[in-house]
Formats: sequence, C-alpha cells, structure tokens
Amino acid sequence: MLAAVDATTAAAYAETAGRAMGLGLGTGLAALGTGVGLGFIFGKTIEAVSRQPELKSEIQSIQWLGFALTEATVFYGFIAGLIAFFV
Amino acid sequence: MTKKFSPSRLSRLSLAVWVTLMGAMLAVPGLASAATPEEPRLDPAQEFDLPPWISIHIFGIDMSINKGVFYILLAAVLTVVVVSLVARTMTVRPKGKVQTTVEIGYSLMKDNITDGNLDPKMAARWFPFIGTLFLFIWFSNMIGYLPLPTNTEHTFDVAGVAIPSFALYAATANISVPLVLALVVWIAYNVEGIRAKGFFKYIRSWVPAGVEGFMVGPILAIETLSHFVRLLSLSLRLFANILAGHLLILFMAGGLVVLLGMGFFGSVILGVATGALAVTFLLFEIGLVATLQAFIFCTLTAIYLDGAVAEEH
Repeated sequence: MLAAVDATTAAAYAETAGRAMGLGLGTGLAALGTGVGLGFIFGKTIEAVSRQPELKSEIQSIQWLGFALTEATVFYGFIAGLIAFFV
Repeated sequence: MTKKFSPSRLSRLSLAVWVTLMGAMLAVPGLASAATPEEPRLDPAQEFDLPPWISIHIFGIDMSINKGVFYILLAAVLTVVVVSLVARTMTVRPKGKVQTTVEIGYSLMKDNITDGNLDPKMAARWFPFIGTLFLFIWFSNMIGYLPLPTNTEHTFDVAGVAIPSFALYAATANISVPLVLALVVWIAYNVEGIRAKGFFKYIRSWVPAGVEGFMVGPILAIETLSHFVRLLSLSLRLFANILAGHLLILFMAGGLVVLLGMGFFGSVILGVATGALAVTFLLFEIGLVATLQAFIFCTLTAIYLDGAVAEEH
C-alpha cells in the first residue's frame, strides 16, 4: 500500500506499527478536546439565543468564528499524525 | 433578458454541468481502468506530488508551471474578472442573483470583518487587502471542489487524444499557498505595529498592561512564542481544513474501497455506503468550510492588525 507497509524485518515492522499508531492517535486524541470545545460553543449559543432571541444573527456570527478556531485544533493533531506517518 | 438565459435556467444549467463533471470524474477513469486490468497500487501519497507541466528555471529557482500554479492563477483570474465585471455592470437596484451575492459578500468583508475589528483609519487603509485576501481564498477553496481535467498522471483516451483525468485539487491544499498568505499577513501586522509604536515599544506592548518587575521576562518570552505560533496556526488552519476535506471526499468516494481491496460484492456495498458519505462531505465542504475558512483567515488578519496598533488600555 505504502512504502511504510512493505516490512520484512522486526525493526521495520516496529517502525510501521509506530507510524500507524501515530497516525491514528494523532487525530483521535485531538478530536477529544475539539469535541468538548465545539459542544460548549454551540451549547452556549443556544443558551444565549434563548435568552435574547433578537440578537440571534450577531450571536451566530460569533459562533461561527469560535467554531472555526476550535475546529482548527483537531487539524493540528491530524497534520501531526500525517507527519508521523509519512515523514 | 430572453427566457433562454433566465437566472433559474442558468443556475439549473450550471448545476447540471457540475453534476456531469463530477460523474465524469468518478466514472470515466473507473471505466478506463476496468478496460486495462493492470492497475497500479493506489498510492495516497501521490496526492501530494506536483509534476511540472512547463519547466521554467530562473537562476536555479524552480518556477515551473504545475497543477498548483495553474490553480493559483485560475483563482487570481477569477477573483479579478468576476468582481470587475460585477463592478462595471451593477445597477442601483440589483437585478440578478450575482450582484446580490457580491453585495452580501462585500457587506461581509467591509462591515463584519474590517469595520468590526479595525478603527476607521486602519480600516480604510487595509480594507482592499483584506477584501482581496477574502475573495482569493474563497475562490481558491471553491474551485477545489470543481472537477477539472488536470490529473496528467492518469490520462484517458477519447478518440485517440489523451485527456488528463478529472481531479479535485485546491491550491490551498498545498502548504505553500496558505503559508505565503500567512507570511504576508504576519509581516504586515508586525510592520504596522513597529510603524505605529517604534520597535522596542511595540515589543513591550506584547506584555499586557499591569505586569511589571521580574514577571515581564517570562511573559515576554511566552508572548514572543505565541506570536511566532500565530504564523503557524494561521497557515495550518486553512491548509489542514481544505486538505482534510479533500482527503475525506477522495477516500470516501472510492479510495477506501480500493485500499481495502475486498471482493466484488463487499466493495459494492462498502462503496455505496461510503459514496453517500462522500457526497455529504462534499456538500458540507462547499456549503460551510470553504467560505468559513476564508472568513476566519480575514477576521484573524483584522484582529492581528488591530492588536498591533491598539493602545494599551
């Protein structure tokens, strides 16, 4: 499949296994914090809009800003996993 | 305007064209490779290769035209042409959807991003930059979801002419493009800060007001690190969002099935399931991520510029 998978010696197997674990754990662990953060943002938005429905569009624009900044953290982990696998 | 070019017909027509292109991208290489069974192993790392189309070397620097350069030029041309055309042909009361959309976009750029974060003097100076940045990133992200015949690695034959396969590729999916944009923004806001405050006062302003004595040292070190990390995070956010979106779509739309290499019926069942996911992700990316990432990049640019020249409170 990829150069990392063509393994014959024990050391090569170990390296492949390490890289594969790095790839999986990278995104997986990063998604933990991101999931909590995103849930927080949207929950707070729901609370705020329910308190003051007339500010819905302003609150929503802040919500999208927060969403994109929080979503970025899962991609930092994803890129770290990719670097672990390919580099 | 005659009935033939009415807006609803044009949008239905463009939707039909896009669906056809997507279908061609998915079906034709599959059919072509089914005819020639010696299929090379799928190499996902090939996504990152950029073979040069026209080799240009200036003083040893590789300036070849390749797929990425083509997409950047396409995004730049689209940005300039579309907005200039709308600016020339616009009417006081908007007659079509395009002008309305551009007006909404302009209001987003000016009122929300620039005026919402910068004082009037800085806003007037930096709005053209932020507006162009927003449009360039937006167009660059969006044409990444339009299948264009640019995959010169796997060509297919139509009446004897080798046409490159259709491929999904975005210029911003390569780390270089967001990195350069982030570098420009980073240098710009630091220069603005130095210009407004002088070099040492600007560095001193990184430390929040109220911190004095021996704590200034460590806090200054942390703040310097955070300013350098801003460069990294700004570029990486845009790059990784678009790259992850593309990889998800490509893997769901057939990569996973090919990689797993199950039998015929297993592949069909998995392919249908992941294919539906691929369409969902594609719609999600087009509807939300492309615009949102451009918006975020420009909002952060405005916030950094404002933070660089703001007086301490």
